[in-house]
Amino acid sequence: MAKNPYVIGVGMTKFGNILETPEIKDKTFQELLAEAAFEAYDDAGISPEDIDAFLVGNMLPETSMSNSQSTNSSDWLGLRCKPGFHIDTACDTTLTAIGVARDMIMSGRYRNILVVAGEITNSYPDENADFPLKRKPLSPIKLWKWTDYAVDHNFGYQHFYGFDALTGINGLAYMKTNNLSFEEFDRVMLQINKNVRFHAATNPKAFLYEKGTLEEEAQREGFSSVEDYWKSEKNPFLAWPVRRKSGLTTADGASAIILSSEPEKYTKKLPIEVSGFGYATYNWPWDGSAEVIAFKDSYAMAGIKPEDIDYLSVHDCLQIAHLNTSETAGYFKKGEAWKAILDGRTRFNGDKPMNTSGGRGGVGHAFEASAGADTYEIVKQMRGEAGERQIKKPIRVAVQHNAGYALHIAVAVYKPGK
Amino acid sequence: MEPIVKKWYDYLEEGKIMGMKCKDCGAINFPPISACRKCRSRNLEWVEMSGEGTLLLYSVSSMIPGEKFVSVAPFAYGQVMLKEMCLFSTKIEGVPISSPAEIEKGNQELPAPVKAKIIDGVGGMKVVVFEKI
Repeated sequence: MAKNPYVIGVGMTKFGNILETPEIKDKTFQELLAEAAFEAYDDAGISPEDIDAFLVGNMLPETSMSNSQSTNSSDWLGLRCKPGFHIDTACDTTLTAIGVARDMIMSGRYRNILVVAGEITNSYPDENADFPLKRKPLSPIKLWKWTDYAVDHNFGYQHFYGFDALTGINGLAYMKTNNLSFEEFDRVMLQINKNVRFHAATNPKAFLYEKGTLEEEAQREGFSSVEDYWKSEKNPFLAWPVRRKSGLTTADGASAIILSSEPEKYTKKLPIEVSGFGYATYNWPWDGSAEVIAFKDSYAMAGIKPEDIDYLSVHDCLQIAHLNTSETAGYFKKGEAWKAILDGRTRFNGDKPMNTSGGRGGVGHAFEASAGADTYEIVKQMRGEAGERQIKKPIRVAVQHNAGYALHIAVAVYKPGK
Repeated sequence: MEPIVKKWYDYLEEGKIMGMKCKDCGAINFPPISACRKCRSRNLEWVEMSGEGTLLLYSVSSMIPGEKFVSVAPFAYGQVMLKEMCLFSTKIEGVPISSPAEIEKGNQELPAPVKAKIIDGVGGMKVVVFEKI
């Protein structure tokens, strides 16, 4: 059996809004991809000449102005005439692509593969201009109209489907299962958001980096306590019992990962082994079974048990995932995650660190690029390059979970290479 | 293969809520589908659903409803376990939605029995909702 390949390079743009955020302002889809890929090439010490294949993720052609994304990006990535293809499993695409690239490398045909994805969620090109630089802000309603094409439209969507209400139901399910009162649940959700912002405030690539912590924001908004700010009209219910700030921050951006079977040829940095990978998909209505399968398969492949995990990354487009997904992953026992979070154990300096980048609330959610941003954080943490939010204990096993609308679940297990 | 989706909506026009029973494993598939969700068999037959179920949870779509439901928001949206053991989500009638306190109170009364009802959907077709008994 061939050896597991390694992640040898990672890159990502600043996540933000291409209409406003200085680092990515006025960049097109291809330019976002190239910026992330170039950082990854440099991080790995590899030339595009040595990239044997590339996989490109992008969910919304309405905003990127691109289908056939691999042909539209090959030359921008320095990969003209290399084999490449578009891969799409919605918001877990970059992780799915890591798994697929892993298998491609293990087939023996490829040595080095680039996984890259980009998404624009805050603006779209004016239909009359058909020009990527002539853009209009994208309303959440219109963004979700396009995003919801991931949901069954034969039946599911026609039956009053709403992402907002589902978020509420998801929160309620955790609340009821654990016999939490609304007040207790709300306090946990506030703590999760404080963690999200606390981590994002240390991450210059995060959309909300400049906005600082939730406590700082509360003060700026004229509130003497963060609790009052949390419960104010500035943070209405997205759908009871879940408030707006517990949802996602839509972002534009790109991420890139390079996998290789021969890390020592390119880099002296710690290679990160892709030790396990599993994915499962199904359509509406969801009962949670795909998630269980993806975790089980990836743990089995990597030969790990939940108690071996030193770092967990969960797909937190709904911040409730810090609760329910961490328990499904076995990182916490059923019914224990909310207590651990209230005790501060999931912060970078806690004993059970999770989502230390700031996740989809803090870094922001650039749909198909966001799983790559999670991998970016894992690699930086495992190498000891995470700066002020560096996890002190060594990470021997890291697990990354992502969910693609609606629903594709991917889970990967990483270990430090030798 | 017959057009399953068209036939299902045609049944609704006749006042019938149909699912598909797997002739191999006996599972009821709702909404209908081309292959059994449990055993993957294509050996399926149309059956009329009981219309009975249990409302597990509900919340309210109001801030970012699906685009075509903006004009009918706010409305309750909930998760129903059908008597035939299929999970289904749709609009829920007969539950309070006017304030967070009411939604909380409404949810405290769950799980509770609900009955299916055919109503006009948005877009010119009939759809299935559930009403609290």
